[in-house]
Order: sequence, then C-alpha cells, then structure tokens
Amino acid sequence: MSERPSLWWIDWRLSRGPLLRETIGRLLFFCLLGFALLSLLLSGGVGRFLADRYAITAVLRAEVPSAEAEGLARKVAALPPVRSAAYRDPEAAWKEFLRAYPGLDPLRGAGGNPLPGYIEIRIRPDRLTGADVGLVTSALRSVSLVEQVLAGEEWLPRLLRTGRLASWVCRGIFAAFLAGFFLVSRLQERARAIALAGDFAFLAERGVPGGRLAFFRAAGAAVSGFLLAAAGTAAGGGALFLSLRAFPFLESVIGPTSDLVLPRTVAAAVLFSLGAALLSGAASLLGWRAARSGRK
Amino acid sequence: MIEGFRLGVFSRGTTLWDGLDFALGDAAAWFVAGPPSSGKTLLLSILRGERRPDAGDVVVSGESLYRGNAALARAWRASCGHVPEQTIADARLTVADLFRRSALAGSGVRERERKDRTERLLEMVGLPGVLEWRIAELSISERVRACLAAELLRGPKILFCDGVVAGAGIPCREMLWGLFRALAREGNTVVLAERTIPERWVLAAGDAEPVGPFRVYRLPVPGAGMR
Repeated sequence: MSERPSLWWIDWRLSRGPLLRETIGRLLFFCLLGFALLSLLLSGGVGRFLADRYAITAVLRAEVPSAEAEGLARKVAALPPVRSAAYRDPEAAWKEFLRAYPGLDPLRGAGGNPLPGYIEIRIRPDRLTGADVGLVTSALRSVSLVEQVLAGEEWLPRLLRTGRLASWVCRGIFAAFLAGFFLVSRLQERARAIALAGDFAFLAERGVPGGRLAFFRAAGAAVSGFLLAAAGTAAGGGALFLSLRAFPFLESVIGPTSDLVLPRTVAAAVLFSLGAALLSGAASLLGWRAARSGRK
Repeated sequence: MIEGFRLGVFSRGTTLWDGLDFALGDAAAWFVAGPPSSGKTLLLSILRGERRPDAGDVVVSGESLYRGNAALARAWRASCGHVPEQTIADARLTVADLFRRSALAGSGVRERERKDRTERLLEMVGLPGVLEWRIAELSISERVRACLAAELLRGPKILFCDGVVAGAGIPCREMLWGLFRALAREGNTVVLAERTIPERWVLAAGDAEPVGPFRVYRLPVPGAGMR
C-alpha cells in the first residue's frame, strides 16, 4: 500500500447523497446564470435595445440623384460605427409619411412631392456612444449632398447615460446572483465539512494531513465548479437559442442566434466557467476553515 | 520498536504520571492494564503520535515522534490502526461506511479487493451480513468488532486497541486471543489497553512489568521467541 492515499473527490466518496443533491442544485443555478450571462453578452445590457431604436437621419438636398444618394449611403455604411445605412428616395419617403399621417395626401397636389430623399443610418450596439455618433454626424455634415442631419443630439447624452446606468444595473444583478452563489456554496461547504468532521478526523488520525484534505477538497470543488458552469452555460445557451427561435422579436433586444457561437461569446463563457471554478474552490477552502474554527 | 522515555502527563491540574520508561518490541502483542482514569487512552494517543506528552519523548524505530521530522510522524500514523473506546460519534454511519473510510485512509485497496476482504473480516469477527446496518443499531460488542475489522482492512503494521477486549465481551475473547497472536506472528505489533486482563491471558503471559500506574504484559506468540 502506498503511504499517500488519493484524496481526489474525497467528499463524493464519503457522502454521495447530499453532494449529489448539491450538485444538481448548482447545475440548475448555473443554467439560469448561463442564460443570463449569454443574454447580457449578446444584448450588451440595454445597448442593443437602444441601438435598434435609435437612427440618424441624413436629409438630402432635393436635387440629389438616386445613384449619388445610394453611393453616399454605401460610403456611410462603411464607417466603423455604422451597422446599416439605407437610402430612401423621395417616393418612399412620401409613402412612409402617408403611413404615419394618413389623410394628408392633398399636400402633394399643389406642387408635387414635397419630401426629399434621406439616408437612415443605424449604429452598431457596441458603438452607440456620443463619440461614435459625433463621428458619423460630422462626417455627414461635411458632405455637400446632405441638407440636414437629424441625430437627436440634444437628448442623446441623457439617453446614453440612462442606457449605461441600466446596463450596469443588469450587470449588478448578475454579479449579485454570482455573489449569492458564492455565499450559498460557502455555507454548503461548511455544513458538509462539519457533517464529515468525524471522517476527516479519522483520516487525520491515520496520517492524512489536514492541509492535503483541504487542498484536494478545494481542487475537487473547483473542477466540478468548472464543469458544472460549462454545462450550465451550454444548457443556458441552448435555452436562449430556442427562445430566440420561438420568439423572433427577442432578437431586437438580445441579438441574433448566430452571435451565440462567436469566438468572443465562447471565450466569455469559458472565462465565466473559470471564475465559477475559482469561486467554488474558494468557497470550499473558506467553508473548511470556518468549520474547523467553529465560526459561521 | 516503540520506546517511551521519561514520559509524563499533567492533566486536570495534577500529574497523572511521570517518568515512565518502557519499550514495546515489534511483532508482539502487548497488553497494558490500568485502573479507570489512569490515562490508558492518553497513553495510546501519545504512542500513536496524536498527543505530545508533557514530559519525555516517544521514539519509534530510533526516531523521535515529536521532536523529529513531521513527515516521519505522519508516516507512523499512517502505519497505525486504532480501535477507539466506543463512542456514539460514528452512529450515523453504516458498517460499510466504516470499511469505505478505512480503505480511503490506506490507498491501494481496490474496490473488488475491499469487498472481498470486508466480507472475510466481518465473518472472522462473527458479523457476517451486517454491511448495511447502521452503527447505531449495533450492540457495543458488535460495534467494537466491526471497528476492529474495519481497521484490519488496511493491514496496519501497528494496531492500538482501546478497551476492545472488554467491549467485545466474554464470548469473543477466544477469537480476539487468537487474532492478536496471529497478527503478532505475522510481524505486526498489537498494543491493547484495558482495565483488567482476562485471567487466562494472565496465566499465559506470566508476570507483568510495572510501568507507572500500568502493568504491561507481553502475550505469548506461538513460534516467536520472547524478547
């Protein structure tokens, strides 16, 4: 017999029932957290919601030919902060106007279509900042074809500030849930360390150092935390995918399903799993220490 | 060999014993008899390396247990088995849990091997088929025998038994007598601490060596020469 017994999964080997229940609970919690994390990542808090509703309108001069206007729209679409730039000719603008204000078609009778064409510009959710909007508007204002740029600059800073605040609130709620997970895990680890105190004393009496026990318990908790978080995030991602497919209107708030497999989304999920592993390991160590010192 | 040099313990505001000198040779069964509250359990925990004596030292195979290398002390504890005086601490466990826990303390016991040896050991101590029974459901005698069998699972080189003979009861004495002597014959060391030694064992062991409040007997081991 070797003198150093393997202590991997020592809690599992000593107390399967309670640990299984805890593990199922943690997996379900990680599913919820994974769903929330991916929703937050894709939506950027409320960034996508605001970006979906905010548009810059570049009103063109009356005499601008369609070909030139479309060329300008393509150039604007190439700007880094711009998600899309669509040219609407005067006819399309008139139809939109009538849809918005039915019964005003006599206005046209007097001297033809009174509305000019325009370019509707939408900003990327992650670039919806005062600086990027300023970049686009100043670029548009320097173009001679553009009569006027409507960007809501008088109320935009307040809107962006509110958006940032709302995003931070969303992240804060997520962090609070993560902190709650840590606290509950620590209490569970402490309770388990107390319940297994007799077994640990038995092992210590037979030459198994307490430090090794604590280390391997924490290592086991970290590995299982990583695996549970990864599995929970994958399940949460699956649930989010199905939700977005079932309710397409959610895409305007959260984002397209294709974003779920972007490298940065996957990297964030891996980082989250690593964080969960660290928290699980720390909770195990703190729970062990609290149980040994008899504190809460 | 386990040697005690000028061992002393001060407990409850008084000197329990002091200046104990003794040597317990390897491959033998030793019987330490002493009156109640004389510190037998304390002596065993000192010899196992669990409790530092207030005076003196314990030397195992030429190395100090308390003043030497901590790793050596851990290795010593790992080679020891211990059957404690029965308490209700493990009442929530089943007999199978005792064996599982014991196997954890000594790695290298495969699952299949553990099961085979568990069944054989339980049969040997007269407890076949009790694996799923809770410790709380067992009598004192059954608990003692179950704990003894669980310790033997790891095959400890040195076995410390506290009150095992008294706890197991008169009907089990013959089995224990044979078991301890067989363990010693195979090269293991057994140290028993009891209030009284059964008469037949005294007759076989001969004169005791007085060590402080204790009387230390060496049980005869068939096929082994006396020290």
